[in-house]
Amino acid sequence: MKQPAHISGSLHLTGRSRFIADEVCVYGMLHAKFFFSPVAHAKIISMDVSEAENYPGVHSVITAKSITGENQIGHVIKDEPLFPEEIIMYHHQPLAMVLAEDEFIAETAAKLIKLQYEELEPILDVLIADAKSEWYVPERRIECGDVDAVFAGAANVLEGQTSNSGQEHFYMEGQRTRAIPFEDSRLLLQCATQSTMEVQEVVSHLLGIPAHDIVVDLPRLGGAFGGKERAATIWACMAALGAFISRKPVQVKLSRDEDMHATGKRHPFTSMWKVAYSDEGKILAYDIQLLANGGAYADLSVAILERALFHAENAYHIPNARIRGRACRTNLPPNTAFRGFGAPQGIFVIESVIQLIAKKLKLDPLAIRKLNSYQNGNKTPYDQEIRECQITDIFDKLARDANYLSLKEEVAEFNAKYSHLKRGIGIVPVKFGISFTTALLNQGSALIWIYIDGSISVSTGGVEMGQELCTKVAVVVSRILGVPVSQIKVESSNTQRVGNASPTAASTGSDINGNAARIAAEKVRNQLCEPANKLIATKFKIDVCPDELVFADGMIMPINKPEYGISFRELVKFAYNERVPLGAYGYYRTPDLWFDREIGKGHPFHYYVYGAALAEVELDIRLGEHKLRKLHIIHENGSSLNERVDNGQVIGAAVQGYGWCTMEDLKYNDKGIYTSANPSTYKIPGIRDLPEDFQVELLPSQSKEASVFGSKATGEPPLIYGLAVFFALQDAVNAAKPDAHLSFPATPEALLLAMN
Amino acid sequence: MISSNKEGIMNANTQYNKISFYLNGKEQSASIPAGLSTLDWLNKHRNMYGTKCSCNEGDCGACTVVIAYPREGSIVYEAINSCLYPAAKLHGRHLITIEAIGTPEELHPIQEAMLKHHGTQCGYCTPGFVMSMFAMFAMQSHPDKESIFSALEGNLCRCTGYQSILDAAMEISENYSPDTIVPQWCREVEPMLFSFKQAAYMGEADNANPGLVQKYYLPEDMSSLFDVCDSEPAARFIAGGTDIVVQMNISRREFPVLIDLCRIDALNKLYLQRDGLHIGAMISYSQLFESGIVKSDYPALHELINKIASRQIRNFGTIVGNIANASPIGDSLPLLLALDARLVLASRQGERIIPLSSFFIAYRKTALQQNEIVKELVLPIIPRGNYVHSIKSAKRKSVDISSVVTAINLAWDGDRICSARLALGGVAATTVLSGKFGELVIGKAASELDSVSIAEAIAADYAPLSDVRGSAEYRTKLIIEHIAIYIEHIKGRQA
Repeated sequence: MKQPAHISGSLHLTGRSRFIADEVCVYGMLHAKFFFSPVAHAKIISMDVSEAENYPGVHSVITAKSITGENQIGHVIKDEPLFPEEIIMYHHQPLAMVLAEDEFIAETAAKLIKLQYEELEPILDVLIADAKSEWYVPERRIECGDVDAVFAGAANVLEGQTSNSGQEHFYMEGQRTRAIPFEDSRLLLQCATQSTMEVQEVVSHLLGIPAHDIVVDLPRLGGAFGGKERAATIWACMAALGAFISRKPVQVKLSRDEDMHATGKRHPFTSMWKVAYSDEGKILAYDIQLLANGGAYADLSVAILERALFHAENAYHIPNARIRGRACRTNLPPNTAFRGFGAPQGIFVIESVIQLIAKKLKLDPLAIRKLNSYQNGNKTPYDQEIRECQITDIFDKLARDANYLSLKEEVAEFNAKYSHLKRGIGIVPVKFGISFTTALLNQGSALIWIYIDGSISVSTGGVEMGQELCTKVAVVVSRILGVPVSQIKVESSNTQRVGNASPTAASTGSDINGNAARIAAEKVRNQLCEPANKLIATKFKIDVCPDELVFADGMIMPINKPEYGISFRELVKFAYNERVPLGAYGYYRTPDLWFDREIGKGHPFHYYVYGAALAEVELDIRLGEHKLRKLHIIHENGSSLNERVDNGQVIGAAVQGYGWCTMEDLKYNDKGIYTSANPSTYKIPGIRDLPEDFQVELLPSQSKEASVFGSKATGEPPLIYGLAVFFALQDAVNAAKPDAHLSFPATPEALLLAMN
Repeated sequence: MISSNKEGIMNANTQYNKISFYLNGKEQSASIPAGLSTLDWLNKHRNMYGTKCSCNEGDCGACTVVIAYPREGSIVYEAINSCLYPAAKLHGRHLITIEAIGTPEELHPIQEAMLKHHGTQCGYCTPGFVMSMFAMFAMQSHPDKESIFSALEGNLCRCTGYQSILDAAMEISENYSPDTIVPQWCREVEPMLFSFKQAAYMGEADNANPGLVQKYYLPEDMSSLFDVCDSEPAARFIAGGTDIVVQMNISRREFPVLIDLCRIDALNKLYLQRDGLHIGAMISYSQLFESGIVKSDYPALHELINKIASRQIRNFGTIVGNIANASPIGDSLPLLLALDARLVLASRQGERIIPLSSFFIAYRKTALQQNEIVKELVLPIIPRGNYVHSIKSAKRKSVDISSVVTAINLAWDGDRICSARLALGGVAATTVLSGKFGELVIGKAASELDSVSIAEAIAADYAPLSDVRGSAEYRTKLIIEHIAIYIEHIKGRQA
């Protein structure tokens, strides 16, 4: 079957697709700019906004005092004010908002606000925060087997500490919301968010008005990667509050530098671990404490920590494991969701441990990985049974496709021959659990209308952000109603059409929304069967049984009797005349999910996605620069709804992961000020960073556990593949200097200093 | 207790530039508030939002548009960052934006290929990529992978991971030539661009539209340039503007009076003379890169330019602007110092020539006098057999400012080194020439040089700072490695 192209592709390519706030200003609209905190941690003594208020062109200055409901935008944990009233918690925290007729005036006036404060010592390091018991919630724990007993009798034990740095989302479209008052006290929020429900709920609380007075609508996002799941809410609240008070449209649109400074990022983690293993390299016991640097407010840190715990063993069966985690409060902007949501951090540690075991035992790291891989029937430390494990097959296929053995020899020969250039190989598998680990989020809705010309409108709670959710939803509906994708319009995400939508996150976008759309489409198809039978019977003077109808190629016909086909359009018109409903609502919840936090056991995931990547690098050991010679990926994804879309997700995520571990360098000074907060010093991969040889193979699988039409999620898991490059670089570094330790991220500087 | 109280004062009395140009095939007259960028003009004044603003500092390429203008007898199509390109510079040029390239119903071949390969995901960077490709394929038949990288390295995409975009570009490269890429309506404008003669003029002041710039002059020749200088003693000159506009967009720095040099023919010259290659103040990095003389006679410069900034920036950023601006982080400066480049400074009183090495007096301070401009940069002819090389070390392979950049120029007398210039950037407050290097190597044969001891001796002279682009330790290590690499090259050459 021909794979449809990106459903919005021709709009994007001609510059005609709509993005929030990239359109004509609404009449009378005010522009918001902020007065941001100049320090990371301080006690507020006073703030004088009078000069800003009196500046020509300024409408008003909004502060905590202006809030009509509660000054609280925390969602799960209520610990975050919109504007702090006493204590400033991070550098660039917004303290006041200036509304003015133009952005430039607002910005200039914001500089006239005077703040008096008493500076407090900021906590930046997660280890210090942990020592001070700065936790949002008590320690989380998952445990299996008898860890202490195994360590007591173990011959080989290693322990260590492993850290990763954070990552800037760098969505191309920055944070923005346009709030437009309409009738009575109601507000339309055109908001760049991954979570319409959360924005509605939090704004309602902040303003003290019911949720039905707030309408959230967005056509799409210019990238998000988790950075607009929770982090968008504060800016939506700002615009909403401004519009609610001024009764004028208000636009909040952060500049790139403001966005980088003021928003949270991927969590830096530091983990202390201990491992016991056999002489063959089998992991016998693993004891790890993961510390997440959560920043100033809880945000999603606890859920992110939990996912790190759930992925701490990655693709390996570890019979005795004690996995503990603490999310710590520091004075960085509130760290937040980022593609992988803690899993990459957990996986990075166990993969580093495997590398060390291989080095100690002088065994091939791939052999150690295979030896420890999950097999069907194994249970994870949280007791979920592994049923459709593919990891051994994937390793074998990867080794075969990339000629692993001869590649290893070539690398060894090369390294013996050249003193200033060293090559290295890295392999990383992934087993990624799909579902929100907060079980209640695993539900979604869709609404379908067939109009009487036969064109179809579908709304789901999902947000389009480049992952081509709209394309996938259209594919699902098209398969069920047997009409071409071009006849289907996937609408904006809107709280009036689909309420209570879970965030589009955790890679579940197409599973949840695709299934909801499937159910809605099936309902509407069922509604059409009776009139179809009636129409066919009348038109061709025959009897047709309802379950024998086929919807395909824009036609409806009795099975095996195409000669009695009627067109979809003709049926729709007929059904309307017959007073048959042409709309349907679909609701889906992911089955069989539960997890008991108290005992750390359960079945948190609907299914797992498997894959592995092999990277080969060539490192110039004098300059610390490398070439990524090869990146081979095998990614299992059930029965793909659209291979090109999934392929794009895998490549995009892998390159993002590669950026995270090699060049994206968040630098803070000791005052907690982010010093690389602009694109001239914070570097994400560019086109020259593509691997010279980039192979991606989607491995179809007949999974019984998979989701809509047998497909599997693709959003987050492939980010892990980027880590293969980190381990390849470490391998190359070790070829030059066997005991060298490579720090994260592996920038040229880190590489060079590792070898010094 | 600390008090924060930043002053914010803005100019009123913004004047307008009345300019004439072509927008997507149609003639335009527009009143441009002084200093307004092309991106802001498109978005805010024309409500054309196809061109996207993502970073507003020339680092992401989302705002890429194409300009067409005559150069050396033909029309060139160049991609530029519209966020950094003062709209007044459009005078006499053809501005081409995404709105004019194809429609959803009838896609341009570039868009067809991008759609086919799924070269777009979220769509925010996409118009910029299409425009960069448009400029590349308009000027080049069948570009190879390296040319594609060079044309697209200034466009960031956070979704696709670039492979699909590269695949699309490779397919276009195989199947299309400039004839099929450039639409008829562009070709129809070309003769008008050749014959364009009007001067831009300055309009009335407008109190209602405050900005960072009050007056923006576009003199047509040297004598009117000096007239403006006389009447505006506080004026700053702007060549490409790739640094000044960043300071406006990001730091909101005010430049009350700017004099743009882009219309002055005398500054737009690149020619070889007995004393070397003369590079006019308005010669862009791209012009240098494409110059046959640079490629053959100054290959190290040719190679280095490809590693400076992005294609979009190179298309209007100038090497002289980089010097006159006295930016401490100019990646070309060490090589120019190693080559012993000279500067031709011009004022109404006449011209004088000074060595580049005596131009920089202190951080962001130069030897320019009141109402004097850098008219040309002169690169002396490199004697046959010299070893000239430059190494740039940065975090990312492209579009990144260096942590350390060095350059070397060695001359030989027989098998002995008779002159040696080593320049280093990123190791001190300004780019420096090493005096010690000459002492250590002059009079010696390559085989007598000990790379480690020389490199360490030079590194010992500098105490680089730790900053966001690298720690002191890393920079010191780079100095040593760069020098060691040079010395090994020399040994290899002689062996």
